[in-house]
Amino acid sequence: MIRPSLAGIHPRPRGRETTLLALAAAALLTGWVSLATTQAGRLSAGDPHLLVIYLVAAAVIHVLFVVTGRRTDQVLFPAVVLLGGISLLFMARLPPSLVTQDAGPAGILTLAPLQLVWLVLSLSTIGGLAILVRNDTWLRNYKYSWAAAGVTLLVLVFLFGDEVNGVRLTLRVGPLAGQPSELLKIILVVFLAGYLAENRALLAATSLRVGPLDLPPLAYLLPMLAMWGIALAVVVVQRDLGAALLFFAVFLGLLYVATQRTSFVALGLLLAAVGSVFLYAVEPTVQVRVAIWLDPFAQALGSGFQIVRGLYAFGRGGLLGTGLGAGLPSPDGTLAVPALATDYVFAGVAEELGAAGAIALIGLYLVIAERGLRIAARGADDFRALLAAGLTLVLVLQAALIMAGDLKLVPLTGVTLPFVAYGGSSLLGSGICVGLLMALSDAGVEAPAPPQALTRGERLRARGRGVAGRFERAVR
Amino acid sequence: MSAFEILVWILRLAFLGLLYLFLAVLARGLLRDLRATTARTTRAPGMLVVMAAPPGVPAVGATMPLETITTLGRDADNVIVVDDQFASTHHARLTFRGRVWYLEDLGSTNGTRLNGRPVEGAVAVGFGDEIAVGETRFRLEPASA
Amino acid sequence: MNRGSAPPVRHGLARLAVAVLLCYAAVALGLGYWQGLQAQALTNDPGNPLVAALRDGPRGRILDARGTVLAQDVTVGGVRVRRYPHPAAEPAVGYWSPTLGSSGLEHTYDADLSGLAGTSPVDELLRKFGASTASPLDVVTSLDMRLQADAVKLLGKQKGAIVALDPTTGRVLALASTPSFDPDRVVAPGTGPAYMAGLSAPGNASPLLDRATQGLYTPGSVFKMVTAIAGIGSGAITGATTYPDQPGEERSGFVVDGFKVVDGHHDFTGDTALDFVQATEVSCNIYFAHVGLATGAGALRDWARRLGFEAAIPFDLPTAVSQVTSGGGPLDGFVDDVELANAAYGQGTTAVTPLQMALVAATIADGGTLMRPTLVDTVRSPDGTVVQHTEPQVWQQVLSGAQDAVLRAAMTGAVESAWGRPFAGSAAIPGVQTAGKTGTAQLGGSGEPHAWFIGFAPAAAPRIAVAVIIEQGGHGGEVAAPLGGQLMGDWLRLAP
Repeated sequence: MIRPSLAGIHPRPRGRETTLLALAAAALLTGWVSLATTQAGRLSAGDPHLLVIYLVAAAVIHVLFVVTGRRTDQVLFPAVVLLGGISLLFMARLPPSLVTQDAGPAGILTLAPLQLVWLVLSLSTIGGLAILVRNDTWLRNYKYSWAAAGVTLLVLVFLFGDEVNGVRLTLRVGPLAGQPSELLKIILVVFLAGYLAENRALLAATSLRVGPLDLPPLAYLLPMLAMWGIALAVVVVQRDLGAALLFFAVFLGLLYVATQRTSFVALGLLLAAVGSVFLYAVEPTVQVRVAIWLDPFAQALGSGFQIVRGLYAFGRGGLLGTGLGAGLPSPDGTLAVPALATDYVFAGVAEELGAAGAIALIGLYLVIAERGLRIAARGADDFRALLAAGLTLVLVLQAALIMAGDLKLVPLTGVTLPFVAYGGSSLLGSGICVGLLMALSDAGVEAPAPPQALTRGERLRARGRGVAGRFERAVR
Repeated sequence: MSAFEILVWILRLAFLGLLYLFLAVLARGLLRDLRATTARTTRAPGMLVVMAAPPGVPAVGATMPLETITTLGRDADNVIVVDDQFASTHHARLTFRGRVWYLEDLGSTNGTRLNGRPVEGAVAVGFGDEIAVGETRFRLEPASA
Repeated sequence: MNRGSAPPVRHGLARLAVAVLLCYAAVALGLGYWQGLQAQALTNDPGNPLVAALRDGPRGRILDARGTVLAQDVTVGGVRVRRYPHPAAEPAVGYWSPTLGSSGLEHTYDADLSGLAGTSPVDELLRKFGASTASPLDVVTSLDMRLQADAVKLLGKQKGAIVALDPTTGRVLALASTPSFDPDRVVAPGTGPAYMAGLSAPGNASPLLDRATQGLYTPGSVFKMVTAIAGIGSGAITGATTYPDQPGEERSGFVVDGFKVVDGHHDFTGDTALDFVQATEVSCNIYFAHVGLATGAGALRDWARRLGFEAAIPFDLPTAVSQVTSGGGPLDGFVDDVELANAAYGQGTTAVTPLQMALVAATIADGGTLMRPTLVDTVRSPDGTVVQHTEPQVWQQVLSGAQDAVLRAAMTGAVESAWGRPFAGSAAIPGVQTAGKTGTAQLGGSGEPHAWFIGFAPAAAPRIAVAVIIEQGGHGGEVAAPLGGQLMGDWLRLAP
């Protein structure tokens, strides 16, 4: 007899998720043994407590999913767990002194433990969102508020942010530091999804002919372009070219999905080309980036150093890799490839796991893409579909962008490989994306319910929403 | 090549192999979903009405629309989730082929019953027939307009 | 909710999925490129820290054809040092230093010597499964150290070069360039950089320059054999061709477009109109000027190209490009007939490397067949397994045997005949029919001319072909020909 359960919570087995997590755990444990054996010179399991903590956290969240019984996607979480596990393996292999953080009573944390902390937080975020987010009105109905919040965040970073390597990305509040651009991507997606869902018919149907191109009617295009333009300008001022590129790509992707007018996309690409040329002419850093992209070997000891070293790492990996722990030597704690834990983590993984491992990594991102777009396709309405598509694009295009950059297919940008690169903000941002995707994937949730009689608590909350709602209406 | 080198190679290949096994298991499931999804795009002319069920979901009297291929079971993956302790994770499957509904048992522990008789292989189901999964009973009805 | 008039989102999603797939396909292709196609090139790149890490590893040896060690690692006081027991093998063998770089064969075969290059595909695969990634290989050259030492001794303190090769196979037997340097001092860790700086100082006669393969000199009369090949090959002349005006022009000079071609040594030929063989024996400029004009600019360059001119000769060492004309002029690159006439006897803007001229001699020696020059016979692992073996390869069939016969006769006459002996007789090897041609390349101005000699022996079935140049050495017949004859004679004694 199943004991009486809370409204909406029924323990349900999640067979596929369990199987995949078990496989992932087996793979990660084997990898850990492989790494420890290579480093120790004999068969050894090293000190696996980091990996064990990670797997236990994943198992706990899986059990929570089973207990709460929501019919959410069962593939996304194991894929993320595997990616995070590979990240942990790789961080364990790098010199631990690369990043240190004083964690007060917990002592000084080094690279791998820090990454573990962020990974567990990220997995918890996924779990929390996947279990708790039941409706999307808070996203759907307040898009302008979200947009305003996003712009405010940008301005804050611009004014108060820390400058690292000439790029102002980090906002420090007390002991915590984060990169708001991660949140900004999600906010942008939420806004675009809401806006496009509402106006897509009009955008798609009516148009303004300018030469051979169809433009959407100005009244509808302007707010979008304004939002995008502000975001872009501030981002470019911060010189975070990767985020700008990503924003733009996601924007075009969602615009196409919403309207399916290729002319809009063509116009967008044209604007991008114009913008790029402008940036190239005006910004010396862009010129340097393009120069070392085209021929890094000409500046192999100067600005092209990182790219050249990255390519050496790829070359050394070959098909099967050098084996975990046997990558390019890191004498005295300096890395053979700069930024091996962040920008070039793909090169590092490709070196140690070879093309075989790198393609497996690509496979995992493709899995996330497939699940995300499937969730979008089965979305109950346009907003859900566009939101899911946008969140998927943020994850998947970012991964492709940095992988292509490492491989010298496109100029190197500063975006991080989701779930694999070191970085708390990146992990949390990606976690939010996956968590929301899982929440959207609940097959048992219907379209937004028609208004019903509200309880007292709900009425109070509604009044608060009313304030925000008035703001929304004013903007409109 | 020393024994140690062989060991390291075995471990490295095992790790890569397990990664790909993960992807393979995943891919198999994705392909199944893909085939099911293309069939799912059309709603099928039928629905199940819940006649009897343990307290909880689905509620008695609830109607559940059917898809061309509808799986029933306790696992969250199924199209119709039956929260019945006597139901298996993947219990039964209703398929609409030609113009007839077919019911198959997917190797469940307690079996599927059609109008009280155990189901072996694929059996045709007509409107008004009762399907029992665990303690839950459904009746197949034509879909409401 | 949907508002009807826009197409369903699902279709757009499908196309978006395709776009995403294409992005990742591009990434996968990039992976394949860098980790598959370019992996070897990246690993062999000298800037690669992996390579730098291996630089402390063992390096293979360089040997001559008989197994004499020319370059090897020795351990001195626990430190691995590169040693060169025979400095006379420079600059062909070159040097290798972790700080100063490499030259010669040490540079060209760096990947094999340091063990980065793969051996057999099976070995490559096994190497992937093994811990050690480097298996240094030995390089066996075609040089014969006895002949090489002989060549260097003959050059002595003069600035010049000698190239000696086997015309039937193209194997280079000796490659000498003087002044040279001491490679042991180059790679010595303490004093190396200072020594190198001294070598590179201007006014020091460029000991680092490999004159044999990269020195470009005005050829003078040795170039007449190129003109001859072009003339006979194109059919412009035959062995019997004579120019009736030629005896008269010897007195008055042969005027070409206002430029007078002169000769000064026909006191004993008198008024005979010379045929080809005789003209070669006395090295008649006027005759060859006629031949050049008759052959024509285009054909002359065409046949020269077949001999290897106007392109870098594919060789185990870097080579400079020999030229018939500096080009740019309206007459097939020549400025006018004057330049063509001058080029025909090796003046004008002709510039050749000693290696190129040795190939010309080798072609005539081998019945008109030009074999590809090689310096390395095999690359093998230290246990003797041959990884790479160079087979003699025909590079060009320049002339037929019948056409070549008259050239061979001409060159033999140039050394052995009554008319030839005063000019090139000093190259004759006692008891062996020797063929050759001298050259005295005027440089304009007041400096001494370059002394040249090319030849082969024995004339009927040649086993060695040489080119000798002494920079500003004076008369070819007096300075270069004796060296050439001596060297060839020594070889015939060493390798009967």
